[in-house]
Amino acid sequence: MRLDFSGLDPVTLHRPKADAGFDLPCQPIGSAPSFDLPAVADLDGFEKAAVDMVKPLHGTTTLAFVFKEGVIVAADSRASMGNYISSQNVKKILEINPYLLGTMAGGAADCQFWQRNLGTRCRLHELGNKRRISVTGASKLLANTLYSYRGMGLSMGTMIAGWDETGPGLYYVDSEGGRVKGRRFSVGSGSTYAYGVLDTGFHWDMTIDEAVELARRSIYHATFRDGASGGVASVYYVGPNGWKKMSGDDVGELHYKYYPVSDSPAEKEIVMKEASSAS
Amino acid sequence: MSITSYNGSALVAMLGKNCFAIASDRRLGVNFQTIATDYQRIFEIHEKLYIGLSGLGTDVQTLYQRLKFRHKLYQLREERNMRPETFASLVSAMLYEKRFGPYFCEPIIAGLSEDNVPFICTTDLIGAKQYSSDFVVSGTASESLYGACESMYKPDLEPDDLFEVIAQALISSVDRDCISGWGGIVHIVTPDQVITKTLRGRMD
Amino acid sequence: MAMMMPPRMNPSDSASGPKQHQSWSPYDNNGGTCVAIAGSDYCVLAADTRMSTGFSILTRDYSKIFQISDQCALASSGFQADIRALQKNLDARHQTYQHQHNKQMSCPAMAQLLSNTLYYKRFFPYYAFNVLGGLDDQGKGCVYSYDAVGSYERVGYAAQGSGMQLIIPVLDNQLKSASPLVLPKRESATPLSESEAVDLVKDTFASAAERDIYTGDGVEIIVINAQGVQKHYMELKKD
Repeated sequence: MRLDFSGLDPVTLHRPKADAGFDLPCQPIGSAPSFDLPAVADLDGFEKAAVDMVKPLHGTTTLAFVFKEGVIVAADSRASMGNYISSQNVKKILEINPYLLGTMAGGAADCQFWQRNLGTRCRLHELGNKRRISVTGASKLLANTLYSYRGMGLSMGTMIAGWDETGPGLYYVDSEGGRVKGRRFSVGSGSTYAYGVLDTGFHWDMTIDEAVELARRSIYHATFRDGASGGVASVYYVGPNGWKKMSGDDVGELHYKYYPVSDSPAEKEIVMKEASSAS
Repeated sequence: MSITSYNGSALVAMLGKNCFAIASDRRLGVNFQTIATDYQRIFEIHEKLYIGLSGLGTDVQTLYQRLKFRHKLYQLREERNMRPETFASLVSAMLYEKRFGPYFCEPIIAGLSEDNVPFICTTDLIGAKQYSSDFVVSGTASESLYGACESMYKPDLEPDDLFEVIAQALISSVDRDCISGWGGIVHIVTPDQVITKTLRGRMD
Repeated sequence: MAMMMPPRMNPSDSASGPKQHQSWSPYDNNGGTCVAIAGSDYCVLAADTRMSTGFSILTRDYSKIFQISDQCALASSGFQADIRALQKNLDARHQTYQHQHNKQMSCPAMAQLLSNTLYYKRFFPYYAFNVLGGLDDQGKGCVYSYDAVGSYERVGYAAQGSGMQLIIPVLDNQLKSASPLVLPKRESATPLSESEAVDLVKDTFASAAERDIYTGDGVEIIVINAQGVQKHYMELKKD
């Protein structure tokens, strides 16, 4: 199955076709990848069942916001399959190129593959047009690709953040084909908790350090309340010179920094009972 | 999500040398949202008998209250505490009474007999008893707990070593489960005293 | 001649398309567990040798480990037919690479290749849960853990398969080090020596075989280090 959106590509490099009998995925750089489909009567049902095998990252908290100095992008690092934590160290902020960042939420493989593909096409744009691609252009490329696979079962809720000639840019792109420009987004199961902290603490004229601290706190609070978020809170800053990773903190340690350790009333009860049963 | 994993829980009990340890996590949640980090799942029936209940929070509380009531009646009638084996049979019978509309709980019973021989037992949600001579686990993190306990457990451990083993097993296992954790609590029961310690774990 | 029952009209049956067996699935799960540990100058890969289907054992003596290059091996659990096809695919690509570049593929390059190979079957996935292990360009051990459609990350240790949930907490307890995402960067190499890592793997498989019905019979362990590839084998419970 090959979906044709060559009309959107300004440049396609051609290579001799691979042997018909040698069924390998050797394809021209920058063209649409070719996917086999199973020959079943009920494709939707099959894909639904196959989705169980994919490692979904629905449990996640990612956020990004624009402020006076640029863009802050932050995310947790947990991947969960149902209730099982499959990894605490997933890189959810993908470095597409030195001035563009993408976040990962939804299907991990979908995000990794398509954002790497986006990086390739952004580089081709640079080589073909002798200038960097804008954030608008990059997010449009990704959104159009995802739109062509609409309904096929891809799962991605990603934010593209960067700095181009027009200044900071932030777009939300998802696998339904949606693309929204905005100044503040949070995506994932922990997004509601992150919004609470982020909206309260935000003001446009923050310094970079204040903005980083706000993002870190928002992710931390989301990981505390949401069972499907956790791990390491990573915060990146995107400025005129590109992105820089500002902090990566294990949220287990952040908890004991942000909350003073004191016994809750229930624990005090047990301590008293222990004293009396030991006597 | 299934009804037994609605609130999330993790429980483990281990046998040591003339002692036992019972431990649980502290989280109460509603699916993925965390509501409390000091929820009690291990209850004292009498000073040498503890019951830990995993599963749906409301059934945990109701079942504990009913068992406490039955034990108090027993104390009034028999003028002594129940033996652990008897209590296990009581739990099993109470659960089977609700065979076609069960309590969504999987209890762990741990106790010391009069001659201070430690005893642990678990049942499923409709009362099938299973005695064990090493450890029992229950809750949403039970598969991870099985693996961790199987690797870390040694028979005839002293109370301090038993605490280390059970704490490490519990923490390692709940760190791989989204809906349990947020701290832990361990009770180590020996013939002379009950030591209760809270565990400092990851709060994510 | 058999009596024909009148066909039951199922509203969900469509008139178009051939009538297919209702519950046929192209996949099956042959069970098993794979584990890998990366050390400072070695990599240990292990997999049990039981192949099962449903509640039956097909064979007690099946190797789930595939040596792709001198420095790189792949251990996979899941549906062994898909895994066999995947192994052949990778082997063919690797041979082509060797002809074109006159050298073997490095482990990180193979990791990316495997990810892409899995993703190109995104809509009809390989039912394979892979762990790739080997030595990277600096000679340090590297382990990559995959899901069925190609998402991957480099980790210090990994387990996949039916015994995964039993084994991972023990590995976490013994091997967990600072996350590679933490800033400032903390050293995350496994402190264990090669023989300690092999012993840890043997212990974890023995525990997993006790509690997981699909893991058992034997465990095949390979160690990749600067001296090459060494194989070990340990018997497990056969029940």
